Amino acid sequence: LLKDMDKVEETSKDIIKFTAEKLSVDDVSQLVTSPLCGAISLFVGTTRNNFEGKKVISLEYEAYLPMAENEIRKICSDIRQKWPVKHIAVFHRLGLVPVSEASIIIAVSSAHRAASLEAVTYAIDTLKARVPIWKKELYEESSSSWKRNKECFWATNS
Amino acid sequence: MVPRCQVEILYFAKSAEITGVRSETISVPQEIKALQLWNEIETRHPGLADVRNQVIFAVRQEYVELGDQLLLLHPGDEIAIIPPISGG
Repeated sequence: LLKDMDKVEETSKDIIKFTAEKLSVDDVSQLVTSPLCGAISLFVGTTRNNFEGKKVISLEYEAYLPMAENEIRKICSDIRQKWPVKHIAVFHRLGLVPVSEASIIIAVSSAHRAASLEAVTYAIDTLKARVPIWKKELYEESSSSWKRNKECFWATNS
Repeated sequence: MVPRCQVEILYFAKSAEITGVRSETISVPQEIKALQLWNEIETRHPGLADVRNQVIFAVRQEYVELGDQLLLLHPGDEIAIIPPISGG
């Protein structure tokens, strides 16, 4: 049995998915689970119900899909250069994401916890700076506003 | 006379709301500075002047600022107008 365990080779996976369906933390976590890993670190981004005194009903997301996927692949590649991680999953929802629902789940597995904890932080920070995805806040009073991440690497003037 | 080619312009988020379209094919010089390309697009959609200082291009899925960089375009190239992003 020990011989079999030594021979187990597990190709490292980068799993990137865009979907209009509700995201499941359990499903994403399962995708990065590995017998070689003692840690899975997660980030879950959810819709908050307020912005500058206005009541937010929902966020609405769109993406430049092929480029967004490629930019996330580059982030996965960067992560693998910097930290010894096993599997990486980035799931982003598109369309309407009501309050308290998840718009993004990032999951990373590693043998020991420091690598996956740091990699998840890097992933969300870099996604917010570079990946062509946009969200619009829909307010209770029927108005709306396209948001801008402070991390966005261009357009620093407001 | 610089040869021209047909390229596809993609609009997202606020820029799509301004133009009312998600994509269109236009004829542009094959060699053109990024800012000149923006001016050609803004001529077609004057409302885009509102976002001129906030957007960036993605030419063949690589970011290009609206500046002096000389673009070498091929027929069918995709050029996206990228307003400030807000993913995650």
